[in-house]
Amino acid sequence: MTNIIDPIAEIDESRVADQDVVIGKSRIIFRRFMRNRTAVAGLFIFLALFLFSIFGGFLTPWDKDTIDPLNIGMPPSPDHLLGTTQAGIDLMALIVDGTRTSILIGLIVGGVSVLISAVYGCTMAFFGGKVDATMLFILEALIMMPAILVVAVATSGGGGLKDLPSWLLLVVVLLFFSWMGTARLVRSLSMSLMQRDYVKAAKYMGVPSRRIVWRHLVPNIGSLLVLDFTRGITGAILAEVAFSFIGIGIKLPDVSLGVLIGQATGQVSSFPWMFWVPLTVMFLLTGSLAMMNDGLRDAFDPSSSSIGRAKTKTAKAGK
Amino acid sequence: MSTNISHTPAERLRDAGLYAPGDAVLSVRDLNVRFNSENGVVHAVRGVDFDLMPGKTLGIVGESGSGKSVTSMAIMGLLPETADISGSVRFKGKELLGLSDKAMCKHRGNDIAMVFQDPLSSLTPVYTVGNQIIEALTVHNPTMSKQAKEARAVDLLRMVGIPSPKDRLKAFPHEFSGGMRQRVMIAIAIANDPRVLIADEPTTALDVTIQAQVLEVLHTAQEETGAAVVMITHDLGVVAGMADDIMVMYAGKPVETGTVEDIYYNPRMPYTLGLLGAVPRVDTATKQSLVPIEGTPPNLALPVTGCSFAARCPLVSDACLHGEPELFSVPGVEGQTLGHKAACIKSDELSGNADAHRIFHAPPKPVSKFDGVARVEREKVLELKDVKKHFPLLKGALIKRRIGTVKAVDGLSFDIREGECVSIVGESGCGKTTTLLEIMEFHPDQVGEVVIGGVSNKVATDHKTTMAMRKEMQMVFQDPTGALDPRFTVYEVLAEPLENLGMPKAAIRKRIMELMKLVGLQPDHVNRFPNQFSGGQRQRIGIARALAVNPKLVVLDEPVSALDVSVQAGVINLLDKLRAELGLSYLMVAHDLSVVRHISDRVAVMYLGKIVETGNVDDVFDNPRHPYTRALLSAIPVPDPNLERTRERIILQGDLPSPLDAPKGCNFATRCPVFAALPAAKQEKCLTLEPPLASEKEGAQDFACFFPDGEIDADMLVVHA
Amino acid sequence: MLKYLMKRSGIYLIMIFLTTSAGYFLAVSSLKPAVLEQEKIPRPTPEQVAASFRGLGLDPDLNPWERYIQWLGGIITRWDWGRSPNGAFVNAEFADRVMVSTRLFIASIILTLVIGVALGVYSAARQYKFQDRVITSYSYLVHILPAPIAYFLVQLGAISINEAVGERIFFVTGISTPGIEPGWPAFVDLVAHYAVPTFAMTIFGWAGYQIAQRQYLLDNVNADFVRTARAKGLTRNQAIRKHALRVSFIPVAQSIAFTIPAIFTGGFFAEAIFAWPGIGLWSIQAISLQDVNVATATLAYGSVIFAIGAILADFATTLVDPRVRVQ
Repeated sequence: MTNIIDPIAEIDESRVADQDVVIGKSRIIFRRFMRNRTAVAGLFIFLALFLFSIFGGFLTPWDKDTIDPLNIGMPPSPDHLLGTTQAGIDLMALIVDGTRTSILIGLIVGGVSVLISAVYGCTMAFFGGKVDATMLFILEALIMMPAILVVAVATSGGGGLKDLPSWLLLVVVLLFFSWMGTARLVRSLSMSLMQRDYVKAAKYMGVPSRRIVWRHLVPNIGSLLVLDFTRGITGAILAEVAFSFIGIGIKLPDVSLGVLIGQATGQVSSFPWMFWVPLTVMFLLTGSLAMMNDGLRDAFDPSSSSIGRAKTKTAKAGK
Repeated sequence: MSTNISHTPAERLRDAGLYAPGDAVLSVRDLNVRFNSENGVVHAVRGVDFDLMPGKTLGIVGESGSGKSVTSMAIMGLLPETADISGSVRFKGKELLGLSDKAMCKHRGNDIAMVFQDPLSSLTPVYTVGNQIIEALTVHNPTMSKQAKEARAVDLLRMVGIPSPKDRLKAFPHEFSGGMRQRVMIAIAIANDPRVLIADEPTTALDVTIQAQVLEVLHTAQEETGAAVVMITHDLGVVAGMADDIMVMYAGKPVETGTVEDIYYNPRMPYTLGLLGAVPRVDTATKQSLVPIEGTPPNLALPVTGCSFAARCPLVSDACLHGEPELFSVPGVEGQTLGHKAACIKSDELSGNADAHRIFHAPPKPVSKFDGVARVEREKVLELKDVKKHFPLLKGALIKRRIGTVKAVDGLSFDIREGECVSIVGESGCGKTTTLLEIMEFHPDQVGEVVIGGVSNKVATDHKTTMAMRKEMQMVFQDPTGALDPRFTVYEVLAEPLENLGMPKAAIRKRIMELMKLVGLQPDHVNRFPNQFSGGQRQRIGIARALAVNPKLVVLDEPVSALDVSVQAGVINLLDKLRAELGLSYLMVAHDLSVVRHISDRVAVMYLGKIVETGNVDDVFDNPRHPYTRALLSAIPVPDPNLERTRERIILQGDLPSPLDAPKGCNFATRCPVFAALPAAKQEKCLTLEPPLASEKEGAQDFACFFPDGEIDADMLVVHA
Repeated sequence: MLKYLMKRSGIYLIMIFLTTSAGYFLAVSSLKPAVLEQEKIPRPTPEQVAASFRGLGLDPDLNPWERYIQWLGGIITRWDWGRSPNGAFVNAEFADRVMVSTRLFIASIILTLVIGVALGVYSAARQYKFQDRVITSYSYLVHILPAPIAYFLVQLGAISINEAVGERIFFVTGISTPGIEPGWPAFVDLVAHYAVPTFAMTIFGWAGYQIAQRQYLLDNVNADFVRTARAKGLTRNQAIRKHALRVSFIPVAQSIAFTIPAIFTGGFFAEAIFAWPGIGLWSIQAISLQDVNVATATLAYGSVIFAIGAILADFATTLVDPRVRVQ
């Protein structure tokens, strides 16, 4: 056993041991993520597509509203890198636009639905009792609703909703149906977290509830939320493609990957590039997100094996 | 599974049939087990040899990671296929290693059977108990008729002491308590009259009273079947009375073997000596520190160059670091089955009465400034007045109706004075943890009054009062892993209570460094995460966190029960030291009565939400008056073979009853060994009146029983001849 | 047990009522059949349209609440789910549509469950081996492929098989060839129509079951009770088959509730892609025709399917898990 050491002599020593010892956890998680090659590849593909969707317009002199009367329904050529549609519109310009719409839908739906589910789930867990029971009932009733029909009704209706642009309408409807699963997860996770000894310890120290929520609950749910954010983006992009593909999602003149793929189905044999190019872009998009999701899950998991190594490194760096 | 074809001396002797004694039921020679892991090849078992004679009991003692369980699994052939096993395991001369899974199945459950540690998860939840017992019979007796199998299953359940066995056959495992499930496991194991029964920590997960019952069942099972038993445990007390021979394992290797007497009375390996000194004794009132074994066992993924214990051994010299010592015969002991052997080049130095405390530099028993002050003159740091916690038991789907009340805590009053340690003991479900939670909750709406440092919960309506109380009292949790946020560094863990007090950053740093030193951790480890520490170190972090705000009272919820024996001693010594140096008071809940006796000044025995006996720890432990206290104390095995073999023990019947069925009079009457022996006229009193908690004479302990020291019912009293 | 199921059914009935009502309000306020009537030639006057709709119980001048009461009254008193703008009764067509959908889904529901669970067990038994990697990667791949596109790709595949053989083997759309003679030719025709959609829905449907079953079984192969079973003298495979498998079914059984509506949605896409006149296609057509009553009826059907799934899951759970039996 160590004896109690003179505290004054301690200060100097501790000062040395103490400088820049504490390394931010976000940095550690970032390092772990960067060590996962698949995840990094996914991140790069996603970023590339993201930049492409914003600046891709500069890669082609054409835009999605201009018809090139000399190149109608032409396969890829130096003039039109990805070919043209049967209406003579540059496919590259359309894809840039469609990718942007898809990513936008994904980001908004993924982000906002995570927020809704976090607030809804935490509220259920926090208040418990009757509030919890009622909110759970509403949640389950919403799960029971066949989302697809509601999407169809909302986007095809002749009523007031018609005024919104079709992509925004789709965002609203997708949002409405995307948060229930996560909300339920957040609820059960926060409920179990509140039973943990370290949360009890903080409570017994007299740490105020909102600080406990902020310091212990949020970071522990946080990983779930980040994971769900990337999953949510994937889900929304897939849903957009699926709905637009069968004609109940985004409607022209808005362009999305789903619209492009759906439009091309009629002439896959005569204009194959029109089908396969947007499909490939969609695959790259959802695939890269799935790869990132995998890496994030690993980086967040405190018991994952790659973490053990990560920690030894940090400890050494600390010294 | 692969058998090594290389020729070690042991194998050559084995092949020549010269090595193993012919009459051994189980002979293990040079057993080695290696696992592939991410960090390289882990050499989990490194050369185990033993012979097990028919009807004898071998105790394998070691801490977690010592390779004792892996050894048993290797014998059973239950290790994963990826494990590399070499050496020899012979059952009645027949080699078992290298047999296919199918060939091995003829022996498993038939010749060699096994009882596992965790009874809650060891039975398949979806099949009835009867089904699972009958399955064991069917595998080895395909021709047996259905009726015969059922009859045998009923017999087996009766043998292991399950009431109304015929009906219970159709019950599912979740309808049984832990102790009952372990009985079922034993019934399954002995179903085919095995010659060897391996019990791997069979009672570790159970309460002491249930442990005593299960050990008794094992004893009966061994008598009925005549099987040889391999008893694997970390608890030196459990095997002391049961085993004939002992093998102490450390870092995958046997480091000392011999008869029970050799090991307990004449240990020749520093590790054994340390282990024996590290365990507190429930039967003696020594006021001496425990023997701490510093450090942690070696990493078995790295090659062992010297003695594996060298890093932790106080007697270490250069010679110990060159070459790992084999098991040497200890001179002067003849005629034993194993012979007394120790893997230590210094075993001679330990002959005679080696003093573990001196060798391991056990710290002196710390003296607190309060030690000389009479109890009544010290201030009360905590007082409970008639605290109750009743839970309504509800039933019904839509409209809930109350069908009863669970009196988890039922009118508890006690106090804790400055500088003293009060422990609450009892079986799980007796309400001791609820008591702690009630104290920690500290809320004006509670039933009864909790006064902490002069502040009553009845006036704790504002944040300021509550904070004042929170600063006086802190808690250390049972599971050191669960008590630390895995996402916090140690620095953040320790900073939390200080930040909460609004301390400036610089002061927090200084205080954290102080705390790290105080609990014996390296200050430069503050940047690490909890999972980079061993269990003992994590518990030290938990203690440091509790001490951060300089509380007067620390509530300890089973502070060492999750730790290994050798680590336990260090933490207990630390708690002892802190109490003396900082003038702390402790309120501890523990199921290990030896630890309680070692660390506490006062003790309260709880049964079904009530205190049944309370007083000075020595008074209560040396002269228990309440039958429940007597039974509880008698259930604790002592690491002393001679004493263990001769002493009488009270074996309580059944489990802790549901608090719902609590009788009107004395709660304990349903299981009371004294009550059972009383004439009907006197029994009436126990059943109708509730005994008050009072002392017989001034200064002695309080107890709640009408017939203290009463005669124990013969059925519940067991003496092993 | 029965009481428990009754109670659950009661709760689901309330939920179905609520979701259907909500769906009705959404439909009634966003679907305006009058807009389409305006495109007819000769164009009817708004008064004519309103009069004809009033006759069908679709009075556009009533507010949504009045329409709701009228509609609900019809269901409660006469079990009449209303009429389409063209005058057709919802009830008349509903049964046919449900039959078509059920015929389309039932085979793939069963196949999906059986193949998914079987592959899950198979891949768990060969964890990290080649077969496991192929099967599990495939399942993850399916997750990033939207169902209608997957079906469309299968359709393309079937067409190219037809082209390669030079003969029409598979029908990629429709439910049967009109005017086929009964008996053997009708059966061949049926199979040729069934094969492609069932194949598509099955191979893109089992992924969820496969991943779940694999995970749950792997969680259980090293469970303590499997070790106990082996210690009794069962071989590893016997112990896993008898003990781990049964326990690993419990969560899979519970997940049925959430996959049945997914199959409904998937089937919806399948009907749209393969042009099967089932409930899903009907609902889409109805919505594009601004048909409030059909849209609501199909939505109610979706909720009922979900409830049936959930109750089936409860039932399956109690069947495999004795711990739930003592409610």
